[in-house]
Amino acid sequence: MKAKAAMPSGSARGVLVWGLQAFSGVLLVAGIGLHWLAQHLVVEGGLRDYSQVVSYLREPLVLALETSFLVVVTTHALLGLRAILMDLGPTKRVERLLNLGLGLAGIGAVVYGIELTLELVR
Amino acid sequence: MWFRAEGSVGRWGFMLHRLTGLALSLYLGVHLVLLNQLRAGPGAWDAFVRLMRSPLILALDALLLGAAAFHGFNGLRLTLLGLGWAVRWQKVMLWASVVLAAACTVWVGARMICG
Repeated sequence: MKAKAAMPSGSARGVLVWGLQAFSGVLLVAGIGLHWLAQHLVVEGGLRDYSQVVSYLREPLVLALETSFLVVVTTHALLGLRAILMDLGPTKRVERLLNLGLGLAGIGAVVYGIELTLELVR
Repeated sequence: MWFRAEGSVGRWGFMLHRLTGLALSLYLGVHLVLLNQLRAGPGAWDAFVRLMRSPLILALDALLLGAAAFHGFNGLRLTLLGLGWAVRWQKVMLWASVVLAAACTVWVGARMICG
């Protein structure tokens, strides 16, 4: 049986994107585990109340980890969406628009997340 | 197309990987939007949290974690296959991903709902 998601052997860009997707995915297996454990499993009732959220985010290490997690999860999700859309065989022009749109969406999500976090910990 | 999963078990695994990925991406967007409730202050957030602690929502959370677990374990499998490693074990690894994801769903679901 042939491995469908084998590393692309064509362009260097394709290999780079595949590598970034795989690397961010491996980081996320640990990151999501940690996020879920900290935000849901060790908290009574499964979710932090407001004061718990704020005091949790005020820990510098937690702030750094959660911010990094947001960057990695957003990158991985948008690269995954790009891979699915690229399989539809877009033209070069559509591909450029797609890259631009997903890039802006990613930057927007990360900026939004960081701004929200900083507002809470101030 | 990737969503035509006829044929091998590996293609089913690939299709399920993409479907769980789409669901998780959608959830990520919704999750980020819902976190905006924090801006409204303790009253609004704590009321929202009480709503989110209902058994139905917690059961959906457990299913979501199952989807994330499958996507993660199967993603590790696809990464290994992409590197040309452990190719002969790909079916075993796929079934292991399914079993581990199911176990995560049941364990987390029971823990979240039953306390």
